[in-house]
Amino acid sequence: MTTATATRQAEPASPAPRKPKRGLGPGALTAATWIVAILFVFPLIWMVLTAFKTESDAFTDPPKLFFTPTLDQFAGVIDRGFLPYLGNSAFVTVLSTLLVLLLGVPAAYALSLAPVKGTSNALGFFLSTKMLPIVAAIIPLYVISQNVQLLDNVWALVILYTAMNLPLAIWMMRSFFLEVPTEMIEAARVDGASLPTLLYKVILPVVAPGIAATALICVIFSWTEFFYAVNLTAARAGTVPVFLVGFITSEGLYWAQLSAAALLASLPVMIVGWIAQNHLVRGLSMGAVK
Amino acid sequence: MAAVAYAAASRVYPGASAVRAVDRLELSIPDGEFLVLVGPSGSGKSTALRMAAGLEDVDEGAIHIGDRDVTDLPPKDRDIAMVFQSYALYPHMTVADNMGFALRLRGVPKPEIADKVKEAAGLLDLTKYLDRKPKALSGGQRQRVAMGRAIVREPSVFLMDEPLSNLDAKLRVETRANIAKLQQRLGTTTIYVTHDQVEAMTMGDRVAVLKDGVLQQCASPRELYENPANAFVAGFIGSPAMNLGTYRVVDGGARLGELTVPVPRPVLDAASGLDEIVLGVRPESLGLVGAGEDGFELTVDLVEELGADAYLHGTVDGASERIVVRVDGRTPPRIGEKVRVGLRDAGEVHAFHPETSRRLG
Amino acid sequence: MSTLSAPARSAPSKATTGKAAKPRTSGSWKRRLPLMPALLFTVAVTQLPFLLTVFYSFQSWNLVRPGSRHFVGFGNYLDVFTDSQFRGAMLNTVILTIVCVFFSLLLGLGFALLLDRKFLGRGVVRTLLITPFLILPAAGALLWKTTMFHPSFGLLHFVFGTDTDWLSAFPLASVMAQIVWQWTPFMMLLILAGLQSQPKEVLEAASVDGAGRVRTFTAITLPHLSRYLQLATLLGAIYIVNSFDAIFLMTQGGPGTASTNLPYYIYQRAFEGFDIGQSSAMGVIVVILTMIVATFALRLMFRTFAVSGGVK
Repeated sequence: MTTATATRQAEPASPAPRKPKRGLGPGALTAATWIVAILFVFPLIWMVLTAFKTESDAFTDPPKLFFTPTLDQFAGVIDRGFLPYLGNSAFVTVLSTLLVLLLGVPAAYALSLAPVKGTSNALGFFLSTKMLPIVAAIIPLYVISQNVQLLDNVWALVILYTAMNLPLAIWMMRSFFLEVPTEMIEAARVDGASLPTLLYKVILPVVAPGIAATALICVIFSWTEFFYAVNLTAARAGTVPVFLVGFITSEGLYWAQLSAAALLASLPVMIVGWIAQNHLVRGLSMGAVK
Repeated sequence: MAAVAYAAASRVYPGASAVRAVDRLELSIPDGEFLVLVGPSGSGKSTALRMAAGLEDVDEGAIHIGDRDVTDLPPKDRDIAMVFQSYALYPHMTVADNMGFALRLRGVPKPEIADKVKEAAGLLDLTKYLDRKPKALSGGQRQRVAMGRAIVREPSVFLMDEPLSNLDAKLRVETRANIAKLQQRLGTTTIYVTHDQVEAMTMGDRVAVLKDGVLQQCASPRELYENPANAFVAGFIGSPAMNLGTYRVVDGGARLGELTVPVPRPVLDAASGLDEIVLGVRPESLGLVGAGEDGFELTVDLVEELGADAYLHGTVDGASERIVVRVDGRTPPRIGEKVRVGLRDAGEVHAFHPETSRRLG
Repeated sequence: MSTLSAPARSAPSKATTGKAAKPRTSGSWKRRLPLMPALLFTVAVTQLPFLLTVFYSFQSWNLVRPGSRHFVGFGNYLDVFTDSQFRGAMLNTVILTIVCVFFSLLLGLGFALLLDRKFLGRGVVRTLLITPFLILPAAGALLWKTTMFHPSFGLLHFVFGTDTDWLSAFPLASVMAQIVWQWTPFMMLLILAGLQSQPKEVLEAASVDGAGRVRTFTAITLPHLSRYLQLATLLGAIYIVNSFDAIFLMTQGGPGTASTNLPYYIYQRAFEGFDIGQSSAMGVIVVILTMIVATFALRLMFRTFAVSGGVK
């Protein structure tokens, strides 16, 4: 320990450690940060550019940075029947997220603010289901879906996505609930609030930002889910990832259209995520703190 | 309005070694009284209050409010209102909604709620703020909203859990007076928890001192000050704290340095057979005396100047206890000086049993 | 709770013990009630199918040969254990998970550190950096397969000037690159949250104490971040172990089985080979292996976040 500090002191003169903060450092570091960020998202930037190209502009060597933009690819994507997939995705995402909240809020309450013996086991159970590889259940799910006519049906995805997101949601919401001051809950009890009143009139308004963050993460995971969607749905109930799979056979020919489709398919969660990125950080970190 | 009675009520926290947070508390608070529960942290004062509120289980014994046994009733059925240390306001509701929430839950018609809220707001000088959210209020205003929330319900008992501890010193003194006045005006039985003995002494009709879950003494502030039941109460009540020390019993008194502190006869009788007793003298019962007068030498090692008064901290040769003396603030001695300290009145000496620490005589 | 009635020493003890016990039990059922819908739902949707998987795994059942279904005991398991492709897929899964978690964590930490200071356009840079997490993984995979990795028209070809067919030459590495790219923002967000939750005073105290930047980072910041890093590792691993999209869309597990991981292999056996029995047996084995690993992970997590206390 002492040697480390000694060598450390030897290098810069005493005021030096402060200096990089104010001197040449910030500008260079900022520039470096920008360059790193742009390099990192370059595949995405390229996707956006390609989406506005014609197929012949998209397929060149060297790649073209300058070109005449066109909206043809987006029209092409719509023509290929994109909208029904988008509708399915929206339906499945919204409904499964609502279901997660409906089931998860009371459960998170029970696990945080009204804990009884065995609740930590329940929490462990919820978390452990997250550890089960989804592939281990896909076969019976396929067989069951087939038997109860839920194959290629949006409701199958609604149910599965709810189960998929519920553990994480309960865990996150539990941490938000733990933030609620105990005295406020006691005040409500003294005021005569019943459990539903307590939950919906007192606690929920207070933890609303946390619930929003949780819902947001559920939306992202539902919208982007691939495995169940590809295995259990097809033309009728397929979600946007399933639509993208349609390009796998012909991707060599339709880069621009693929890019347009990828952009359109991702845009809803991208926008939601951008707008609510602070919620996202909060939501994820709450889980860590508590 | 109602009386409150703890009948050997206990709260036991289970565990490997069960902790008796409140141990067989026997206390009855007559209708309309302002009772203060005071004690150091961990004394069980808040737990005792929360037992009355129904927020803590009563593991043994019972609690009565009025002529009802409320031991098993949920908080909402006890006809109480509580003011919390953090105020526990609902952040998403306006001041008016905060105050009217309990009435709304009880199904009181809206116009009636509005009237009652307005009335309470007038009483607490909150009328201007009724439409604001708690976030937009100052600490003192929030505190008043918490009070208002309790008042609006017209409960038979107010329970207050350190409601002033989040205010700054000046506001605390002001609010202290306001709460006491308000309580007198409403005449509602009030149990008030604090760790601040000044608050306890200035506000309570009676003060109950707790330590380790056990009630030490419950009496009027004056009685607590003048006749503390044991050394703990003696040391806890009064600021700065009473000088307490163990001294040798001699004929007619106890030995403090060169001074024989005169101890009244009944006390000495009670102490018969004891070699030593615990003596307590308040700093304000001591004073500087001239060279020839009865007293003892004190070496000053700290002077606290408070303006009107000054407190000398020092030691007596041959004794280990530090002694605090109140002197006139205008001409205090300096550090290192030796001064002669005498007792103002022999009647102001308190004596306690060295083992049981009970008051003697 | 169990010692509840033990110290009832005072006179009204018979009344009190009854009294104390009653609200506890009835109350606890009332308190468990809100938990029930979520619990039952989760059991029904996640546990029952798995039980069926176990049931199927003892049968020889191929969808292509209807009527062939019969009980074979541990036959499927024996087949799986002697299946070298299964072992290869298992190895790939382990490599993929460890490498991807490690690199995305490392990159995420780097990005988070870059973002943890005020500079021009910080909000924009953060927005840019989180976007790969918000894009559909399927879209990301296809994008990388085409515009990045294509041997003659991809950007990598342009940058490096080689005609390497990345997906054939380095299939697993290519897939991992895409997954790292996808998950780095997630790690970054978590670590950033950790960095920002660090009390300023502590850092100031460290600088007053004479700690340089590096020392402050290793002695103060890293320990503070450890729970965030653990959480990021755990969550990342949970999702990355199940990686399917990237492999399905980029390499189809190939060439050969070079980039096949367990999810993809089981998928292949079930939905391309229609061998329900054997793929179920694989599923069961995967679950058992995961449970062994997860028990350690969960225990770590419970300890770290003191979840086991449950009671506040």
